[in-house]
Amino acid sequence: MDTPETPDSELVSRTQAGDARAFDELVVRFSPRLYGLVYNMTASHEDTNDLLQDIFAKAYRSIKGFQGKSAFYTWMHTIAVNMTINFLKKRNRRRTMSLDDVDNGILSDPDFIKATSHGDPSQDANLVELQKKLNESMLKLSHEHRAVVTMFDIQGMPHAEIAKILKISEGTVRSRLFYAHRQLQNHLQEFMKN
Amino acid sequence: MEPEESISKLLRLKRYEKPRPDYFEDFLAEFQLRQRAEVIHRPFWNIAWDRFSSLFAPIPVPRLVTASSFAAAVIAAGVTLNWSGNEAGVTPATWNLSSPAQTRLGSTQIAFPPTKKRVSSVQYVLPTRPTGYASAHSF
Repeated sequence: MDTPETPDSELVSRTQAGDARAFDELVVRFSPRLYGLVYNMTASHEDTNDLLQDIFAKAYRSIKGFQGKSAFYTWMHTIAVNMTINFLKKRNRRRTMSLDDVDNGILSDPDFIKATSHGDPSQDANLVELQKKLNESMLKLSHEHRAVVTMFDIQGMPHAEIAKILKISEGTVRSRLFYAHRQLQNHLQEFMKN
Repeated sequence: MEPEESISKLLRLKRYEKPRPDYFEDFLAEFQLRQRAEVIHRPFWNIAWDRFSSLFAPIPVPRLVTASSFAAAVIAAGVTLNWSGNEAGVTPATWNLSSPAQTRLGSTQIAFPPTKKRVSSVQYVLPTRPTGYASAHSF
């Protein structure tokens, strides 16, 4: 395996030359981040797994056409967002709410406890309800707004990067964020009072 | 706290929603398996196209040029075959749907051999001993 210091561009060149192991390294490198992106847009671990497999398969098939005009990171995220939005359009609301409404694993995650615990038992008891409501609110956003919120608020990407990935202006990114935040505020009012 | 800030804080909680720790190791293994399966089940034309494209890989030839040269080669092959048919004196006017297949194909090399020969060439070999449920061993 390559060291983490190997630049993406070198791994891409090696993949283009037929080295499948170099692409494996890219999969290892990008899958956690892309998982977060896809999961927060689909709200389903099962769908995320399938979709992520398809995203990497598509990237592998198309990598010869990647000319390096943008960063590989941006290129991968563009594929992931486009495929996820197409998937969500096709999913046709099979279920109104994800099966993963409440991610039980998170409640025992020490990082999560540390980040959310305020020493108030009643507030801690509301965490499950909060997470459920948060997921519901996210699912009420349009696919495009959800993509922007996921990348900015959850993944911490800058506006400029999101604009490149979605091929829209930074102004559009900001306006989508503003609109999405207003919608989320309406849905989450009771939790925001605390 | 500003509403905008509160929303961002709430959304940051979703960063902690992660799959099980060994998920990503299994993910790579599953990806490799799927890739292999895809290679096995790929259609023939797809593989042929990839091999043809790879001939141009070292030269930075745009994809469109590759595609057009492939199309040109296919058309040239078609024209050559058609021309050789005309050379043999078979023109579309000399045959119709009721003509024998040999005439329509326009080449004696492609024509099937006479049916009788094919039938007579088939031979069936029967076993010298009939098959039965009794033991095949004889002492």
